[in-house]
Amino acid sequence: MNNPASITHCTLGELMIYQIARSIEDGILAFHGFGSPLVQLALHLAKHSHAPRLILVAGATYGVNPKPAFLTPTTNDFAMNRAAECQLSIEELFDLAASGHLGRMFLSGLQIDCWGNMNVTGLGQYDRFSLKLPGGGGGCNLSADASHITIWTAAHRTPLDGQGRRRYRLVKQCDFTTSVGHRTTDGMPRSTMPYRGKGPDCIVTDLGVFGFNADGHAELQQVYPDTFAELVAEHTEFDVPVSANLVTATLPDTEIVEFIRRLDPLKIHERELSQADRRRYFALNGSH
Amino acid sequence: MHIQDDKRCSLSELVAHIRNGDCVAIGGGLSWREPIAALRESIRQGVNALKLVGSAHGIDVDLLCGAGCVAVSAQSYVGFEQDFGMAPNYRRACEAGSVTIKDSCCYTLVQQLRAASQGLPFMPMRSVQGSDFMKLHPEFKTMLCPFTGDKLVLVPALQPDVAILHVQYADPHGNLHIDGPPVADILFAKASAKVIATVEKIISHEELVQFGVTIPYFYVTAIAEVPYGAHPTACYPFYAYDREHTARYYQAAKQGANSFADQYLKPFVYECWDHVDYLAAIGGAEQLSRLAQWQNSTEDWLKLYE
Repeated sequence: MNNPASITHCTLGELMIYQIARSIEDGILAFHGFGSPLVQLALHLAKHSHAPRLILVAGATYGVNPKPAFLTPTTNDFAMNRAAECQLSIEELFDLAASGHLGRMFLSGLQIDCWGNMNVTGLGQYDRFSLKLPGGGGGCNLSADASHITIWTAAHRTPLDGQGRRRYRLVKQCDFTTSVGHRTTDGMPRSTMPYRGKGPDCIVTDLGVFGFNADGHAELQQVYPDTFAELVAEHTEFDVPVSANLVTATLPDTEIVEFIRRLDPLKIHERELSQADRRRYFALNGSH
Repeated sequence: MHIQDDKRCSLSELVAHIRNGDCVAIGGGLSWREPIAALRESIRQGVNALKLVGSAHGIDVDLLCGAGCVAVSAQSYVGFEQDFGMAPNYRRACEAGSVTIKDSCCYTLVQQLRAASQGLPFMPMRSVQGSDFMKLHPEFKTMLCPFTGDKLVLVPALQPDVAILHVQYADPHGNLHIDGPPVADILFAKASAKVIATVEKIISHEELVQFGVTIPYFYVTAIAEVPYGAHPTACYPFYAYDREHTARYYQAAKQGANSFADQYLKPFVYECWDHVDYLAAIGGAEQLSRLAQWQNSTEDWLKLYE
């Protein structure tokens, strides 16, 4: 199964990992947080393929350029830090970000709005949340400090509840702003803030890939072989502008798929996906 | 400054340094080197109304919330990552209002601890403004930088009353060696009024300097030798994360407060007279040697997580 020659399909998870990896530039310093296996795999994939000079800082351990034994179910594990070239501390990584040296960071949210603001703190009123979420780690700081942000979520598709409503992931407004995007909830543009970073430039989801237009508003740029713009709009609470150059996303090649499967034998990354999405496959190179 | 010649004491004496209502910094992070034996002992001693500060945490904070020891939670993250997801006891306590939510952010915490360890009233930063953390923390102020004119956020010094750490090695004088990521432990040690540590193995000073001193003795108030004191979190190279036990914890917690009390707190905290009892309750030598198998091969390491 793990011989590239015998690989005929990629999974949705592998496609998302590949799309996240494509957002990573060679030669930058990039950091993955914890609880984000899709991103962890994307960083290792990028370094293995198009970005060999990437300075890869592992979340939670702060090891630089580690060669993980395998992807572990929790992030702060020696297996993830194996053979790290050198070691940073929590303060050193965040200082690097604050001084403008963190090229890219990866953030997600239970709510993501059209400007790239996100909520991982709680639903409802901030003084009495109806649902307390785990919290954002360093996301608030890094959303301001990192040069660029890749946003991802594997839960864009939201089922209808008994009353025919959806609890959207891509929302009109976040209940709480944990990390900042291109415009504050009271309408202030990002440029009025003394942030070093330029904010999010893409959102990779289970339905497609967004960019951000000149106003800082999310815009659909890519769909997947089994999705289309109307489906994306149906599962998005805000109005979705569609790029004039909407394309179907490029699929990873078999070597890339093999690399991901070798690094994640426990399929930890599938825990980010819904049960149904774990069964989505795409044929590679015209094979069926 | 903590200058006693010999800092060694029992686990119960160590935990007696924590007072009701203290601001407590718990060392380690996520499933790594959490001082869980000390937390179990503090639950047995009935410590309560704690204000917890920290970066990314999991079972440590959830356990204290489940035992009703927490008044305020000011971490940047409390959860079980992709492994089990949200922290059930923490969530219940926050949503019921019995724990006041003061979520923080990693760099905000770093800057606040730095201010305390440098004797400064605050530290400035660019981030946080524009986010809703300003609402959760009315004590944060903004000012225009007198040099650049930039609007900056000022976060006040944070001096925890006590930092609770778990480390691999210490000498009797209290010099600590941490193998692997220190997370925020060094910052906590420098900023806190008291530092208490459980230690896998207390060794001579001559042996300790071979490993290196991560935290100098004069920051450290007291130490207790507690092998497997981080269980069920990992303390490499001695033992890996006990996913099996954590799953059991999570299932008990997920079913509700009563089932957590019956199925977890009772058998693993209240009915364990001490840490030796606890190690027997979790499966004794057989289970503990299983957690050391990670060293044999990658295959054995993988087996722990299947």
